Amino acid sequence: MIVASSKPFQEIKQMLSGFKKVCVLGCGSCVTICHTGGEKQVTELAVQLRLSAKLEGREVEVIEDSTLRQCEWEFIEDIKEVIKDCDAVLSIACGIGVQYMAERFPMIRIFPGVNTTFMGGPVEQGIFWERCAGCGNCILGTTGGLCPVSRCAKSLLNGPCGGSQNGKCEVSQETPCVWHQIYDQLDTQQLLATMETIVPPKDWTTGMENHPRKMILEHLVMKKQ
Amino acid sequence: MTVTNKCATPDKKINEEAPCILACPIRQDARDYVQLIARGRFGEAFRLVRERNPLPAACGRICTHPCETKCRRNSTDAPIAIAWLKRFLGDNFSEEIRKTTTEKYPERIAIIGAGPAGLAAANDLALLGYSCTIFESNSTPGGMLRMGVPTYRLPRTAIDNDVEFIKKLGVEIQYNTTFGVDITFDSLKKKGFSAIFIGVGLLESRMLNIEGAQLDGVLKGVSFLNEVNTTGSGRIGKNVLVIGGGAVAMDCARTALRLKPNKVSVACLESRKEMPTTDFEIEEAVHEGAVLYNSVGPKRIIGKDGKVTGLETLKVKYVFDEQKRFNPAFYEGSESIIEADTIILAIGQASDLSFLKGQEGIQVTRGGTIIVNPHNFSTSVHGIYAGGDVVLGRGTMTEGMAQGKKAAIAIHNTLRNTAIKDEKWAEKPAVPDVIPSRIAFIKKEQKQEMPTMPLDERLSNFDEVELGFQLNAAVKEAQRCMNCGAGAFVDDNLCVGCLTCVRICPFEVPKIKKGDATAYIDGDCQSCGLCVVECPAKAIDFKTPLEDCGKDALEAVFQEESIRGVKPLIINFYCQYSACNEDKIDATDNVLFSHVRRVGVLGLGKVAPSLYLRAFELGAHGVMVTACKGDICHFCKDREWVERRIKFISQLLGGLGMDPGRLRTHFVSSQNGKEVFELAFRMVEDIRNLQTIT
Repeated sequence: MIVASSKPFQEIKQMLSGFKKVCVLGCGSCVTICHTGGEKQVTELAVQLRLSAKLEGREVEVIEDSTLRQCEWEFIEDIKEVIKDCDAVLSIACGIGVQYMAERFPMIRIFPGVNTTFMGGPVEQGIFWERCAGCGNCILGTTGGLCPVSRCAKSLLNGPCGGSQNGKCEVSQETPCVWHQIYDQLDTQQLLATMETIVPPKDWTTGMENHPRKMILEHLVMKKQ
Repeated sequence: MTVTNKCATPDKKINEEAPCILACPIRQDARDYVQLIARGRFGEAFRLVRERNPLPAACGRICTHPCETKCRRNSTDAPIAIAWLKRFLGDNFSEEIRKTTTEKYPERIAIIGAGPAGLAAANDLALLGYSCTIFESNSTPGGMLRMGVPTYRLPRTAIDNDVEFIKKLGVEIQYNTTFGVDITFDSLKKKGFSAIFIGVGLLESRMLNIEGAQLDGVLKGVSFLNEVNTTGSGRIGKNVLVIGGGAVAMDCARTALRLKPNKVSVACLESRKEMPTTDFEIEEAVHEGAVLYNSVGPKRIIGKDGKVTGLETLKVKYVFDEQKRFNPAFYEGSESIIEADTIILAIGQASDLSFLKGQEGIQVTRGGTIIVNPHNFSTSVHGIYAGGDVVLGRGTMTEGMAQGKKAAIAIHNTLRNTAIKDEKWAEKPAVPDVIPSRIAFIKKEQKQEMPTMPLDERLSNFDEVELGFQLNAAVKEAQRCMNCGAGAFVDDNLCVGCLTCVRICPFEVPKIKKGDATAYIDGDCQSCGLCVVECPAKAIDFKTPLEDCGKDALEAVFQEESIRGVKPLIINFYCQYSACNEDKIDATDNVLFSHVRRVGVLGLGKVAPSLYLRAFELGAHGVMVTACKGDICHFCKDREWVERRIKFISQLLGGLGMDPGRLRTHFVSSQNGKEVFELAFRMVEDIRNLQTIT
């Protein structure tokens, strides 16, 4: 899932300053699950915006809504009526949803309410870790199911580096050294010998280096009328 | 969400009903009135009771409360004192009921007998829009409640108060009017009554066909009770023996004890466990001094000079045969004698159907009960209905009321040619027993004791023994309720399968069923509300509208005229679980009276953090959260959640540039004590001193 964190309220306030009618729009998938862009956060942000305006003696109307996914044209079509009188929309979807909204409703200012941060998951309630860098060339089959591209600070493929100390990364003591974990996992699986195979330099053109990336499923593409 | 913005039609989510409701013959909304008491909403609780139950004060005292037998609290500690809570409402509140009809039908209905069945039928027919007249042979209402139930269990004011309510609906009662003597079927028809409901009960005591039953000193149970209940005295000797093991036998024994003989004993066929009455009644009889002779059968009554001297008994082999039919067998040669100069027969009641003379068309059983169509309570004669004990042969007060209520609908359907149904009687599955592994998570809470009159005082009079709950005890007892069947539910259309509810529930109730992508909350939900607040998709809500999580109460505060212009205004969100820990101190202080408004919630885990912000948005200058200290709270995990949510909201308030002192949290042992008032007073003063308040 895509993980996003809430933007500081001051930044949001600044973006929306001067607008008289604002819609806070949530998204019902990834950002709901990571507790930053769902219905509950819509309510919390809306009441903050109203309260802030009240404290400063400003008049702002804030409406609240949410869609199943903001990254689908059909779903955001339903929002059309809701936001028709709005000056601005604060989308608390990931960056994809914000862009879909901006593209579909070019006459309304669309602002992001969250910072889209990474692809990951809740390793425990309330704690989300990055687990995938979207490199476009997955090697998890050789690393015991642990991704060094996203979980090693240096994205090393033949790690660990000299900064691995007591199983922790030198960048942060909170971060486990993934190569230490990979070693342990392969040991458990009696596959340590595979570590002796040198992994050649990765083709990074399948990843972030080559954006914007695109995927076409020929068999599903509908011919335009 | 745009597609389905709210949890749609919550009532439909109740697929399992609380066992207490299903166990009740009239399907009294036990859970919901208990929950209202727990929230201090007594008037609404009384109305809810009264809308279903025409005799709440009486029922709260003498009902055999099958609801408590089925209460799911039995599996954790002890059942909720549902009946005593109803009595608390009946004794202390008298809200007008909301349910009235605008329909007025021309037909008049005659009801024979002002007992539970007749009163219930009249009550419900009046609510449906009919003019009803009850014809009662006695000079007072209540039927067997008045004739048979001793005043120390049921003061007559309780019956009178209940009946006054029924009369307010327009029901007329003609006393001293005996059916078959003063009025007949024909005379009623001539007077224009369109339907007649017979609810005359069983007025005769069943006789014992053994040698000596005609001796002087043998009394009939119901006649004895009626005599004592109406005159305050009875003709008994010094050594009284009651024969029978049911509720009437216990009433006879305890009534006899109050007439101060030397000895009162009870002999019955049944063993102690088989006795057909509640443990409580047996225990009270024994406690007051009655001697029990279990598993003995009467062989003959012995006497001298025409007067009773004792009962010869046989030891009982078994009471019920292998087919579980009543078929007692005795050990031969096991005779022994219980000495007595008075024997009271309390082995059941029988009907007096002499009023049926000239109405041979009405079919009756060999046992002397009236035969009715079980679906519409119609006798074999068109337009004549019957219900209650005279149909059942034997029944409880609530079973009698249930018959009256069902007959009322049947009469209406016949007269109007309709087929209305009372949905409360629809078949529904009960919430299953608590899963054993979850019992450990549920806090055990001491059942409130019923205060009773001391033993040395009670035997010298017929005053009520059970004194009734005081307000604090009633609320604390109600707060033990687990709200079965009305807890949280997940709207499948909104759930995103984030697992938050699964992970945070202190009772480990929400689950993702195999093959499902959404959470499911079963009947073990304890209604703590944590998942309702924390669900990021707002997919979880309570099944009944009773629980508003503080939202409506907060909005209501800001509708009050009296808060206009008040500065500073403090909103105090408080946990109702510690609201009755000590006697209320009246907030006479002017500062508190004008500056503090309180929003009580049954467990602060139900309060969304955004509601604290909402209070500021609506115009509060300060928010004070007072949660339960230590382990006072019904929901032990709430403290942790209150702390983390307050921390979160404090950060948001900081982001808005608000003084952090405007949101305060305290953990207190009582919500009404000096401590809370001092905290509130201090907060008012502190906020007054802040430079700017908006």
